[in-house]
Amino acid sequence: MNVDPTRSDGESLRAARDGVVSGPLRRAELRAALSDLADEWLTDQLGAEADVALVAVGGYGRRELAPGSDLDVVLLHRGRADIKELADRIWYPLWDSGVKLDHSVRTVDEAVGVARTDLKAMLGMVEARHVAGDPELTTALRSQVLESWRRDARKRLPDVLAAVTERAEKYGELAFLLEPDLKESRGGLRDVHAMAAVAASWIADAPAAEVRGAAARLMDVRGELHRCSSRSGDRLVLQEHGAVAKALDYNDADALMRDVYDAARTVAFATDEMWRRVEGALRPPRRWRQRQPTRRPLADGVVEQDGEVVLARDADPAHDPVLVLRAAAAAAQAALPLSRHTLDRLAEHSAPMPEPWPAAARDALLALLGSGPDLVPVWEALDQVGVVVRLLPEWAAVRCHPQRNAIHRFTVDRHLVEAAVEAAALTRRVRRPDLLLLGALFHDIGKGFPGDHTDAGVAVLPTIGARLGLPAADVDLLVTLVRQHLLLPDTATRRDLDDPATVRLVADAVGDRTTLELLHALTIADARATGPAAWGEWKARLVDDLVARATAVLAGAPPPADGLLDETQLDLARAGVLDVQVTGDRVTVVAPDRPGLLWRWAGVLALHRLQIRSATATSVDRMAVTVFDVSPRFGSMPDWSAVRADVRRMYDDASSLAASLAERDRAYARASALEPAPPRVIWADDASESSTVVEVRAHDSVGLLYRLTAALAEAGLDVQSARMSTLGAEVVDAFYVVGDDGALVVDPLQRQHIEELLLTACRRPA
Amino acid sequence: MKLVTAVVKPFKLDEVKEALHDLGVAGLTVAEVHGHGRQRGHSEVYRGAEYTVDFVPKIRLDVVVGDDDAAGVVDAIVAAARTGQIGDGKVWVTPIEELVRIRTGERGPDAL
Repeated sequence: MNVDPTRSDGESLRAARDGVVSGPLRRAELRAALSDLADEWLTDQLGAEADVALVAVGGYGRRELAPGSDLDVVLLHRGRADIKELADRIWYPLWDSGVKLDHSVRTVDEAVGVARTDLKAMLGMVEARHVAGDPELTTALRSQVLESWRRDARKRLPDVLAAVTERAEKYGELAFLLEPDLKESRGGLRDVHAMAAVAASWIADAPAAEVRGAAARLMDVRGELHRCSSRSGDRLVLQEHGAVAKALDYNDADALMRDVYDAARTVAFATDEMWRRVEGALRPPRRWRQRQPTRRPLADGVVEQDGEVVLARDADPAHDPVLVLRAAAAAAQAALPLSRHTLDRLAEHSAPMPEPWPAAARDALLALLGSGPDLVPVWEALDQVGVVVRLLPEWAAVRCHPQRNAIHRFTVDRHLVEAAVEAAALTRRVRRPDLLLLGALFHDIGKGFPGDHTDAGVAVLPTIGARLGLPAADVDLLVTLVRQHLLLPDTATRRDLDDPATVRLVADAVGDRTTLELLHALTIADARATGPAAWGEWKARLVDDLVARATAVLAGAPPPADGLLDETQLDLARAGVLDVQVTGDRVTVVAPDRPGLLWRWAGVLALHRLQIRSATATSVDRMAVTVFDVSPRFGSMPDWSAVRADVRRMYDDASSLAASLAERDRAYARASALEPAPPRVIWADDASESSTVVEVRAHDSVGLLYRLTAALAEAGLDVQSARMSTLGAEVVDAFYVVGDDGALVVDPLQRQHIEELLLTACRRPA
Repeated sequence: MKLVTAVVKPFKLDEVKEALHDLGVAGLTVAEVHGHGRQRGHSEVYRGAEYTVDFVPKIRLDVVVGDDDAAGVVDAIVAAARTGQIGDGKVWVTPIEELVRIRTGERGPDAL
């Protein structure tokens, strides 16, 4: 041992440690050298004493010492009377040396007793390692502690899980924070230690090699952080990134952070998996009556089973490329995790997505993006198994991409997902919730490419838009959103808002009100997802002011184009009789006009398990023509002859419709997650002169259109025409209505009453 | 030593900052604040409805300078922040009793 005999014991240990810390050793070699040094020193210090042993616990027990780590030591003894003097002889020089010491003096029984009541002590002792003295004492401690841990694991693991959860909430996620805590953040070293402890209880398997490798990388970084900062803090602060990267031979700080994020993701994903298994193992066994797990349908081919989302028995990802997105959307909307087995199956066996994407895939992606905070864990799971990059190759460029500055809190990829979460809460503020969500997800996609990130984003968007199968006009609008996503905050804080030229400039850059309201919502979502420094009331007021002024300059929303009917539909109308025509997923219903047709047709389609994606209602020569685009909620299209028969029946007498629908409704699973944004009713007074336009923006649910149109009928309104679209999982329905006397609806009290009826209709009956 | 405080329109920050830089002012503190002066906020008409804005967003700057430099700094801020319209803000000067640079412990004008 290279301890200088002329110095005091404490000084010699300090000098030897300083020598190791300033020496050439790195990574695992450094950790082992620090442990070995402490082992040797403690062995010398104890000498040839009987009935005692020095035991290393915690990180020291694992031989994983960083330069700033505590030395966690237990002095075990067999009831020696002079144990206090002996302990002082060891502890005092350690304190002198400046090493942080976590010590205790106990008999084996005492130590096991403490472990039984103190979880932290137990987790430390599970990793006990003999250092010096009588090895039988250490062996006795180890076997008794492990026996107690294995016996009581079922009772104690929930406390371990509670600590893991609490830590995650307090310290955030290592993989996405720009200044993460390497030890305490979710995906950090404490999670690895908790996994090892669970494995020691035999309830779960030991962490896999990839997790151990990830943990080693995090420990390498932690060691250099301690060394570079000369402190024991585990928070990887911005100012140390460069020095740590250099010490570990990374090209630059970005490369270091990418590696840290990648390691943390591996740990976090494995941790989640393991705890889900543990929770399953701890759940009380079912009684024999309930031996069969309960399964309830969530979407076509997707069911919930025991709190996880799994595939239905007949679902086949190899022949159903959209299944992966449908399952993800269903999971996020129900606030449930995808089961590991399902994830692996979807990742390995999903058929390649056709390009351009089918409409069902776009809808599922939008439903996923619009699901609010529950999007995050589902997206993370998809990303971990490689699904995100397979579907959106551009994502690879922003994945784990650090943005090392004082304003941002998250990596680029997480910032984009967080922006989508924030956007989901703002979907009722815009006419195009779908484009808001896509804009949020892609607004910074250019950050993964060289050059100015806005230019790069604008360049790559047409590729993404074409792949997703978006109409050219929508791609153009998305490009505008991405190009201008900094326009509002930059202008509001740096230009004179009283100057008409400023307002004109914004109005010209944006073009129309629809784009402006989208840009406004995107600005808020982007800023909220950036960090606390990026958004506040101060900036919000300036931006609001600018938007209000620009809105006043821009012309009113253009009136929707007339619902153009094609020749076949016109022929049907001219025939003048009740008829139902089906082509593909388009259903056209023609009937002699009378009030209340719309809710009847919507009800019949809901009854046959059809989801209404869009609808337009117009009338031609006293014939009502309603065109629906539908998709089956589960499986295949219904028997159209039955649909036709129901349409005829309901035209004459719809009294049984409500009861039939209520019965059907009971078969569907309740959505358990909170809606990301509450429904909203808007009176668009500048949209039409001949009728009153009431717009409803809401989350889609089974039978929504039926309930809305029935509510309008209940309010005594006649729907002259209507335009309904489902954008992902969000609905924007515009109804052109008049009172039963044919007059506009202007009375504020009547409007309030109608609003209440419509908002009630947005909620599914309990 | 004097503390020069200014409340100006947000978009004037860059110009004021440059003017101060040209005078050789080394450091300044900036805060996002809300307030109103004689104008008592202002009224806006938005989609036909009039609403009153009580407090408008402003920028507040604090600059510590030597006694001889205060007048020049005030003039520079006024020149840079003026638009001639209502709500341009105010500048005021306060005497300072003591000043310490935390890093070195220097006191008084040395700490400027």
